[in-house]
Amino acid sequence: MDMVKAEGLTYEYIKTIETDHGTEEEKVLALNHLDITVEKGSFIAVLGHNGSGKSTFAKHINALVKPTKGTIWVNGFDTNQEELVWDIRQSAGMVFQNPDNQLVATVVEEDIAFGPENLGVPPKEIRKRVDEALATVGMSEYTTHSPNRLSGGQKQRMAIAGVLAMKPDCIVLDEPTAMLDPVGRKEVMQTILRLNKEEGITMILITHYMDEAAMADDVYVIDDGNLVMHGTPKEIFSEVEQMKHYGLDVPQVTEVAYELRKQGIDIPKDILTVEEMVGAICRLK
Amino acid sequence: MLRDITIGQYYPAESIIHRLDARVKLVITFFYILSLFFVNTFVGYLFVIFVLGLAVKASKVPLKFMLKGIKSIMIIILFTAGINIFMTQGDTVLFQKGIITITQEGVFLAIKMCIRLILLIIGSSILTLTTTPIQLTDGIEYLLRPWKKIGVPAHEIAMMMTIALRFIPTLLDETDKIMKAQQARGADFDTGNVIQKAKRLIPILVPLFISAFRRADDLAMAMEARCYHGDENRTRMNEMKYQKADYVAQVCLICYLGVIIALRVAAAKLPFFL
Ligand SMILES: Nc1ncnc2c1ncn2[C@@H]1O[C@H](COP(=O)(O)OP(=O)(O)O)[C@@H](O)[C@H]1O
Ligand SMILES: [Mg+2]
Repeated sequence: MDMVKAEGLTYEYIKTIETDHGTEEEKVLALNHLDITVEKGSFIAVLGHNGSGKSTFAKHINALVKPTKGTIWVNGFDTNQEELVWDIRQSAGMVFQNPDNQLVATVVEEDIAFGPENLGVPPKEIRKRVDEALATVGMSEYTTHSPNRLSGGQKQRMAIAGVLAMKPDCIVLDEPTAMLDPVGRKEVMQTILRLNKEEGITMILITHYMDEAAMADDVYVIDDGNLVMHGTPKEIFSEVEQMKHYGLDVPQVTEVAYELRKQGIDIPKDILTVEEMVGAICRLK
Repeated sequence: MLRDITIGQYYPAESIIHRLDARVKLVITFFYILSLFFVNTFVGYLFVIFVLGLAVKASKVPLKFMLKGIKSIMIIILFTAGINIFMTQGDTVLFQKGIITITQEGVFLAIKMCIRLILLIIGSSILTLTTTPIQLTDGIEYLLRPWKKIGVPAHEIAMMMTIALRFIPTLLDETDKIMKAQQARGADFDTGNVIQKAKRLIPILVPLFISAFRRADDLAMAMEARCYHGDENRTRMNEMKYQKADYVAQVCLICYLGVIIALRVAAAKLPFFL
């Protein structure tokens, strides 16, 4: 069974605008007939410029919004079915951009316990899950601290632990590193990668950082609500011109390789890491 | 600078009072405050001070922390004292000039009011200093539960208090940042009279409110994503359980209230200055 499967997923926001003749309603098409399938255990990245509909897609996976048209199945559950909403939110956790605005409690462990408490898990089991989740993200020593004094990276790892304690099959991360410093970004990315590889949790990462997307198994590019590109990072990033057309960058080394090719130097176009670049240059005669 | 404001200031220590169940502490504090309005003699206050002294000692919180609270409301205490001194009618006039009359009754009443307020502040700060905000909100939620049938939203009140406590430091930080950003661009918050100063707060409050609403929106979505749906079928990681000490504390409360009532009854036979 697929973790997430979207068929003809369409979503319209109703925006009210003030005009001279009173208020009018205008429809904003945020997602347009999206077909996406995410396999269990995979790590996918979603790219797209601001306002292209990435967050709207993420919210569909958590049943925070319902499709206007089309269907999305999460872990086999159809999000259109009202009674499945708790199963869906338990299967697919969500981590948001702003580390401050998603923490509920004044003590770290209480915040991690929030999810399982809502699910009605027995107290002893909650305790166990909280300790496990904090150990998994490497935050055991902060169990009784206040989240206010933690760094951005630590807060995001806390948010991930809060989701882990609900025993999800999939975690959706909506630009989790956008407000972090480089150290925090690294902490969070390592946690995401480890959870994907070791615990087999499906990761859906929405990001603006191309080097983060390069770590994924699969990359999707959304442009104004349309799914425009899909493939492995190598396939996607080698299309430098197309990416630029959608207002996106490619990793720095890939761009260097692109420029070198333009100068007539024979170098592969799908270079994603510095190591690959070094290898390719050494192979030149 | 704004960071110095502490709300729900908890003083971590290992003491009997810290270990008491929050519900018991809340009930005791409630009856203690009621008792303060019941006591009307100096002998009575002496007894309350003695009991309070024992509690402070047992809590292992330095007296300094308790007195901090008094400093911040000194103005209210002095104001109350002033009103009582000048406004109380009485027979034994101590001083008179023009329309100002000070009577013996007024002086005694003012002293009693001051003692009452100070005892009230110290008593309630024992509660907040020895109980974590979470224990406190959990305790309040539990105690309000019986009133749920008549529509008191016990769980919601507790949840709102938790979120407020969680976000107060965040919003204070943000206020600080906004003020600094505006100061860097030449805003001046320190000079001018009260009205001018108040007016200058508007450019701080507007962005602060906008950001607070955005945060509230984000938080609501994050809570929903983590399956929050009120207190229906909700469990708690830390359940509250009464220990032996909690029962002892309740017996102590009953004895205390007994003495207070006895003193009140006896008050009629005491001379006025006691
Ligand atoms: N609450 C809303 N009301 C109206 N329009 C919205 C709302 N949220 C997003 N949109 C619009 O939907 C589109 C997609 O937004 P979003 O999913 O947030 O994009 P992204 O996360 O990729 O930046 C944008 O055009 C945006 O203006
Ligand atoms: Mg977004």
